[in-house]
This record gives sequence, C-alpha cells and structure tokens, in this order.
Amino acid sequence: MVILVIKNGLLIALLLVLLGAFYFSVQDLELMYNTFAKNYYLENGFYQTYARNLVTGIYLDYRLFDSIFEAGILLIAVSGILWISKQDIEKHNVHFMLDKFKTPDLFVMFARIVYPLMLVFGFYVIVNGHISPGGGFQGGAIVATAILILYYIDPNKETDPTFIVSIEKIVFLLIIGFATISIVTKGTMFTNPFTVDNIEVQSIYLLLMNILIGVKVALGLWTIFTAFLKEGR
Amino acid sequence: MMNPILTFLVVLIGLYGLSTSKNIIKSVFCVTITEAGVILLFLNLGNFEGGSVPIFLEGLAEIVDPLPQALMITTIVIGSTVTALALMLCIKIFHHFGTVEWEEVLRDRGDL
Repeated sequence: MVILVIKNGLLIALLLVLLGAFYFSVQDLELMYNTFAKNYYLENGFYQTYARNLVTGIYLDYRLFDSIFEAGILLIAVSGILWISKQDIEKHNVHFMLDKFKTPDLFVMFARIVYPLMLVFGFYVIVNGHISPGGGFQGGAIVATAILILYYIDPNKETDPTFIVSIEKIVFLLIIGFATISIVTKGTMFTNPFTVDNIEVQSIYLLLMNILIGVKVALGLWTIFTAFLKEGR
Repeated sequence: MMNPILTFLVVLIGLYGLSTSKNIIKSVFCVTITEAGVILLFLNLGNFEGGSVPIFLEGLAEIVDPLPQALMITTIVIGSTVTALALMLCIKIFHHFGTVEWEEVLRDRGDL
C-alpha cells in the first residue's frame, strides 16, 4: 500500500516536471510561431491549387506526398487487422455479432430512414471538398458509418473483407498513378497535372482525387468494421 | 499563453492513465486521449479570436492558419487506424488468455 502511494507520488512528480518543462519551452511561443506560411497560402493558395478550401489545397497539392503515405498507412493498418483476425478463423464458428432479435425495432426503423441521408451527405462532403469544408477523408468516414448502419438493418448480410481490401489496393494504386501523371505534363511529381488556366478544368483533378481518397477511406473503414464484427462470437 | 498549458494537461492526463491503468482497453483509450491533446495543441497554434475558416473568398483577410489543420487530418486518420489495430490485438488477447487485465495476462505468460 505504501509502495503504491510512493509510486503514484513519483509518477505525479514526473508529470509535473514535464509540465514545467513544457511551460518554460512555450514561453516564447509568439517568437517561434510566425504567419509567413499562412500569408503565402492566403496570397497564392487559390491561384496555384485552384482550391477554395485552402486545407484541401494543401493536402492535395502542396503536401500530396504526405497524403499518399497517409492513405498507405491506412491500407497497411487494414491489412494488419485482417491478418491478425484471420489467424484462428478456422477454429471458431464465424458469424456476425449483431442479432436481429436483440436490436430494438425503433433503432432499425430509424436506421432505414437515416441510412440514405447519411450516404448522400457523405457523397456531398466528398464532392464539395475543394469549395466547402470537407474532403475525401471526412466524407469517406461518413460513408463508412452509413455502411455500418446497413449491418444493423440487415444482420444476415455477408461481406468478404479480403475482396474489399483488394478493391482498396487497386484504388490506392489509382491514387498514386493519378498523382504521378503530372511528371509528363509539368515535369514535377505530385501536383495538379492540368496545365490549362481554367478553374473548371483544374477542379477536375481535385474532384477526382477527393473521390478516390473518399472511396479508399470508406472501403478501409468498412473492412475494419467487418473484421471486428466477425471477431464477436 | 494559457491554452497550450491546458492542452498539455490533456496529454499529461493521458500519460497518467497510460501508466496506471490495469486494463488493456483502458490503456488504448489513454493513447487516444494523449493524441487528442496533441491535436488540440496543434489546432490552437494557428488559431486566434475572431478568425474565420480557411476557405478562400473575395475580401477575406483574417483566416486561421490552414497548415496545422491539414497536418491534423493526417494525425486523426492514423490515430483511428492505430486504435483499431490495438483493439483488434485486445480481442486476440481476450480470446487467448480469457482476460484483458495487464497483471493476469502477464502472470499467465509467466512474466510476472
């Protein structure tokens, strides 16, 4: 008991030391942080990326390399989850955790009403990602949530996660391929491949990229849900 | 000045929980809390009172910094996948040992 108190006190003292170190390191935060990048994006962001939403302009044009590997990490994590969950899949009788008779009828009824609305809202967020708040990652998460609701409506629906991951891999290759086209037209990789100075033409790239990333994120999260549902038994 | 300290307190709460929690699933939650603190810290960097969303419109001057927001999208996506992977490992541990308590799992493995 005494040892526990001493351990806890030491831990809290250590955390307080960390807090003090952090406090003294952010004393001159105003000097460390500057607004050069913000002003640059505000002046040139729209004319270089043709995205009204500057965040979309950054993660689809200036920092597309980061976004591609972010999507890659999602793919790797999904593959790892599938691999872990497959190890002893033969030993147990696999069936879905959701039981139709345990789910309240009111929930199923409202899920049927909400499901198409959520799907449409997800697609809206994906397609309007470059002119309003949103984008591929956020919209993909909304679409995946709508697909999760579908499992509550029809628990007997069977899905093969391996097949979904195969589609996701193809979409990931499409994203890399579409981002690499600009080496032919502009001479640099990972930027907007269209050279026409027209906002409608340039928006095609942002739109297609958002749709591809949205589909990829939705498929990845759908695979995670399915793997978790197959684990419940 | 006060906001970074408060966000760092969230990080410290996560670290304290990570050190003291006896349940594996609670440890995963504490990792998520730590990550939330880091996200708040970064979003707080470019933020100021009265700033508008970083969407380019005519005659718009006072926007918040869009760069931390674009970076935090990456953090959120990676954090969710890491949480999912950790929870799947928790399920596997439960199927193998029959418990998700750190001490019982370590005792069963013979490490304690």
